[in-house]
Amino acid sequence: MELLGVMLAILGAAMAAGWAGAGSAIGVGIAGESGAGVMTEDPGKFGLVLLLQALPGTQGIYGLLIAFFAILKVGLLGGEPIAVTAYQGLGIFFACLPIAIGGYFSAIAQGKTSAASIQMIAKRPEETGKAVILPAMVETYAVLSLLMSIILLNGIKL
Amino acid sequence: MAVEGIKKAELYVHKSNLEEVLGALQRTASFEVAASGADQSIEGVVQAHPELPRVEGLLAEARFLLRFLEPHFQDKVSPVARALGEKEEISLEEGEALEKSLDIAAISDGARSLERRLVEIRSELAQIATTEALLSHLPDFSYPFELITSGTERVRGIIGTMPASKMPSWRRDMETVLSGMGEIYASTPGEKEQEGWVAVFYDESISDRVMECMTAHSFSKVDVPSALKGTTEEEAKILSERKTFLAGEEERILREIADLAEKRVLAIRTLSDYWTVLRDRYQALLSGTSTEQVVVLRGWIPESGVKRLTKALSPFGTSVELFLFNPSPDDSPPSLLVNAPWSLPFENLTKLYGAPKYGEIDPTPLLAPFFFVFFGMCLGDAGYGVITVGLFMWFMRKYGRMPSAFKGFFQLFVLSGISTIIVGALTGSWFGDLVDAFSFLSFLRPAKNAMLILNPMENPMDFLAISLALGVVQLFCGLLIAFYDALRKRNYMGAFADTGGWIVLLVGLLLWGGVASGFLSDGVALTAKILSFAGAGVLVATQGREKEGIFGKAVSGLLSLYGVTSYLGDVLSYSRLLALGLATSAVGVIINMLAGLAGDLPYIGWAIALLLIVGGHVFSLAVNVLGAFVHSLRLQYVEFFSKFYSGGGTLFSPLTYKTAFVSIKNDSVE
Repeated sequence: MELLGVMLAILGAAMAAGWAGAGSAIGVGIAGESGAGVMTEDPGKFGLVLLLQALPGTQGIYGLLIAFFAILKVGLLGGEPIAVTAYQGLGIFFACLPIAIGGYFSAIAQGKTSAASIQMIAKRPEETGKAVILPAMVETYAVLSLLMSIILLNGIKL
Repeated sequence: MAVEGIKKAELYVHKSNLEEVLGALQRTASFEVAASGADQSIEGVVQAHPELPRVEGLLAEARFLLRFLEPHFQDKVSPVARALGEKEEISLEEGEALEKSLDIAAISDGARSLERRLVEIRSELAQIATTEALLSHLPDFSYPFELITSGTERVRGIIGTMPASKMPSWRRDMETVLSGMGEIYASTPGEKEQEGWVAVFYDESISDRVMECMTAHSFSKVDVPSALKGTTEEEAKILSERKTFLAGEEERILREIADLAEKRVLAIRTLSDYWTVLRDRYQALLSGTSTEQVVVLRGWIPESGVKRLTKALSPFGTSVELFLFNPSPDDSPPSLLVNAPWSLPFENLTKLYGAPKYGEIDPTPLLAPFFFVFFGMCLGDAGYGVITVGLFMWFMRKYGRMPSAFKGFFQLFVLSGISTIIVGALTGSWFGDLVDAFSFLSFLRPAKNAMLILNPMENPMDFLAISLALGVVQLFCGLLIAFYDALRKRNYMGAFADTGGWIVLLVGLLLWGGVASGFLSDGVALTAKILSFAGAGVLVATQGREKEGIFGKAVSGLLSLYGVTSYLGDVLSYSRLLALGLATSAVGVIINMLAGLAGDLPYIGWAIALLLIVGGHVFSLAVNVLGAFVHSLRLQYVEFFSKFYSGGGTLFSPLTYKTAFVSIKNDSVE
């Protein structure tokens, strides 16, 4: 049964990194399309556009973070291998779900908001502050998912 | 703190002194011209300054020249450096002298003729390229093109393309039609080519039948440029000679433009700024009204600027009269933010959200300490803090004369970096766990551990509690400010019912929660309950006061209690302080771990490890600084400002020198 526990933990890690990363990729892609459009008119906005495009990228990092935490916990990254029961492994798997789900969907939503914000700075570059805050509103929920995953992982005693 | 008082001003200037007075206004930068039309109490007409059209014309010429010459100009000062304040200083007198010394019209005439010549050359080159493309289809065409372009007395010729598959049948039919009265040219299309080129030369008398035959075989005629006379070979030679000549000509003109740019761009830039200053000055008049002898300008003057302006206007004696009024409630004066040096760097954050309305609270000093702490917690790594501080200090040293808006942002990042160092040291995060991960750095461990008081990686719940507690503190601050603001405006219902009710209810609930979870003794329980019910009672009683009927009032009052969830949401939102701080350290730990793993590889392991450490931490720093900035800012804008601040004002923007390339010396005043 030990092996099943480890495998479940790996499944969790894979879901966290995979889904959150996929969401970020889609989100950054959406924002990038919009940014490329704006830059055909005004290449000088590259800096601002890049900043806004980068915003939906954080979910991927959060997912990676949880994935590392999960495999660290079961001792896959050097150190002594730890005995993990199937239930503990299942627990780790569940603990990875918040950032996998929250990360995936919030990154896409944030990408759309970023794209809209990019359109906004195309017309009103002086309103950059507001344009950056709108996508950050979406990211809140990715941060909350990250937090819950961290707390859950931290709570599972091996 | 707060927004400075602004006076409404009416300035009466006798026309004889108009120019000098406007100059003085611009120099002191303490008079904002209000848009016209707001007040029509004074009879008169809007009159443009006679110089305005001339200056605008010159400015248009300068813009044309800069647009034309700048791409050919090697600038010694990079645009970034110039934006950061590396500008030459000139005085307006120098600008005037420069204007006299330079015949801008002649320069731009010269530039225009160069531009025209360049366009001509380029369009001819494009034409040649088209002709060459045509000739490339007909390498073995040995008839003179003259036969096609003009023909002879009796002979006509046409050339064009037709589908390759039709060419054999066309040749047969055409030979019959011509029956010796003409000649045929047909290219040999390659296997993959769909079309072939054909030409026919025929006696004028049979032209109808020739055309009929051509049309029957899907021929499409190609018009040959009329300049073509000889055979392909001859023409190709002529074209290539012409091309060489034109290329040389183009190079010569480009060199000429580069020379012109080298010689003139700096002067034109200076002049462009000088004329912009003059234009702004004259445009101010468009907002004034004038009578036969006097011009009246209306605008705003901050209280601190009044003395400076009166002093600057004193030399004009009685030909100038300045009247000051207090703004009436109907006016919407601009806001001028005045902040102490410690909170000045944070002013940009307020401006990003939107300036306060005149007479409202300036939130800058109120958000400054919170932003400082929050940024530190979100970034939370002393190593990253050191780099941030170092980088921005270096920039500030290098560009000492940067404009105040930039300076504010740089100072903001230096302060934020300092806060990050403090938080990082207290939580024991130096580039993640770099000190613990690599044994050769073990000598630093005691120093690191001496400063460590809480490791969020091991005790995330404690750090979460701190984050939420800070959230509670900030929210209460926000409510207290709203309370004070309502009192200040004598809105007692707003102060005691709206804000006061919530403060009492929330304090009660917090105490109640404290008792329930065992942190507070049971003795507090009664106080907690009383406060909660009193607060809730006030809210239920007052929040429906705008509704009709007792039932509507009661329902609205009760429903208002639902707002407690938004306060709960606000507090929980501060959990991002833990999450982001933890994320920074954790990403750092992962980078170090990967580097450690790579370091075990034979031979090149150390190089990969070094690359991972440097590259990884630079990446992590960039991502996390962005995240820390955005999220600390969001906590101010969304959670904090929503309690008491709405922005919506306009910033005071006086008539002053707005320049792009040089800065104007201000030596004649103060």
